[in-house]
Amino acid sequence: MELNIYAYKCKRCGELHYPYKTICKKCGENDHNEFDIVPLPKKGKLLTFTTLYTLPSDYEVVTLALGIVELENGIRITGQLDIKNPKIGMKVNGKVEVVRKDLYKKHLGMIFYKE
Amino acid sequence: MREVYVAGIGITSFSRLEYPLVEIAAYPGLMALRDSGLKKVDHLYVANMGGGRINGQTGLASAVVDHMSLTPAGAETIENGPASGASAIKQGYMAIASGMHDVVMVIGAERMREANPLEATDFVATLTHPQAEYIYGVTLPALAGMFTRLYMEKYGVTARHLAMVAVKNHKNAMDNFYAHLHEDITIEGILDSPEASTNNPYVADPLRFYDVCPVSDGGACLILATAEVMKKINKPMIRLAGIGQATDTHCVHERKDPTELLAVREAARQSFKMAGVKPSDVSVAELHDAFTILEIAESEEVGFFKKGEGHLALERGETQIGGKIPINPSGGLKAKGHPVGATGVGQAHEIVLQLRGEAGKRQVKNAKVGFTCNFGGFGNNVVCLTFIKE
Repeated sequence: MELNIYAYKCKRCGELHYPYKTICKKCGENDHNEFDIVPLPKKGKLLTFTTLYTLPSDYEVVTLALGIVELENGIRITGQLDIKNPKIGMKVNGKVEVVRKDLYKKHLGMIFYKE
Repeated sequence: MREVYVAGIGITSFSRLEYPLVEIAAYPGLMALRDSGLKKVDHLYVANMGGGRINGQTGLASAVVDHMSLTPAGAETIENGPASGASAIKQGYMAIASGMHDVVMVIGAERMREANPLEATDFVATLTHPQAEYIYGVTLPALAGMFTRLYMEKYGVTARHLAMVAVKNHKNAMDNFYAHLHEDITIEGILDSPEASTNNPYVADPLRFYDVCPVSDGGACLILATAEVMKKINKPMIRLAGIGQATDTHCVHERKDPTELLAVREAARQSFKMAGVKPSDVSVAELHDAFTILEIAESEEVGFFKKGEGHLALERGETQIGGKIPINPSGGLKAKGHPVGATGVGQAHEIVLQLRGEAGKRQVKNAKVGFTCNFGGFGNNVVCLTFIKE
């Protein structure tokens, strides 16, 4: 089964949200808070990135590459990168994989690779 | 609404402090009481972010009010991330302006070095979005690194500009007894020399070690009072004239243009409007340079310089002491230090010193209007204060 990260589409105005919000940021109506769950596309372009050398306690690697990607439908997502020499504007392809392990849980998130 | 003045100030060294969090809060309070000549306060606000998580101390304000034998005065702990300090000052302002209290003590205190550096970084990273940022290993330096890369691409800011901010603020901190870092660094040493890559390694590329503030312990205090109380104590009349606060999206990726700090822009606008001054009237400012890029970006967003031109003003020396608008004469978060919950009060402490003319070697001449920008999260909750000397 292919794993996905989901966006939340307002049932009234169709605005997409990632991550989830209780009230739609576009129509702002608070008389309903219903959203359809829509899988996020996996392809996009890299907007910016960094290589982190001081990592939070849960990581056992030396460096971690992180980036913000604009997906095909215009929604943006923060994710990890598995790319040698990343460049702003390059095309990337995401996979949902384990991004963090703590004592009790494996957390899933998007890791981007060169397309 | 009643006018609000600063009656007394106090501060600890920002560094590694080997005494309990409650005392880190109480000593600057004691200094501020002595400075003002007052013996009692009506209410206490204590700004702190990590007491519960790092020091195992919740309900900090209740502990502090008793430690200072100020009971039965009311006391509250204020947590608003790294903007806790200015938020607590805002609460103090409202309490006095509304007529509810006449004398309010506002303390900011933090003891982060009790945790190891990994835990401290992780603690601050809990400010980020839990599902969309934190789980990926995103930390505040990571967000700042991504922000810096965009800023460099868009406006031509270089590693040299960032280093210039660090060198300026380290130089200012040399004259600040209470600063965390007394290291007179040079561009040569952190950028150009063969040792630079060892002296100044990457933290979150393109940000290097000397682009990032230290992890500090520290406390600061402001006693706020009405004009009537001020008549009795014979202290300089420094008025808290303007307060602005604004928020932005939790996730940085949700911002239409992630190089814009809209909350800084809006909070500064409100603060200047309330004080009835323009950005060009400001004689001295303390901006939230947790990362060197933020001093440049904030100097533009608050209105000192046009967007994309802050680094050019920096090159011309306009932000040095003696320049057109001196920024971070205290050394800023970069060199004075960043005890997160205390930082906003620490910034206000420096501005009051400057407006009183008590800043010693780092004194900005004829300082009349002072401004602080206290930046919470990665710009998702910002509080700006304007002080005027009367």
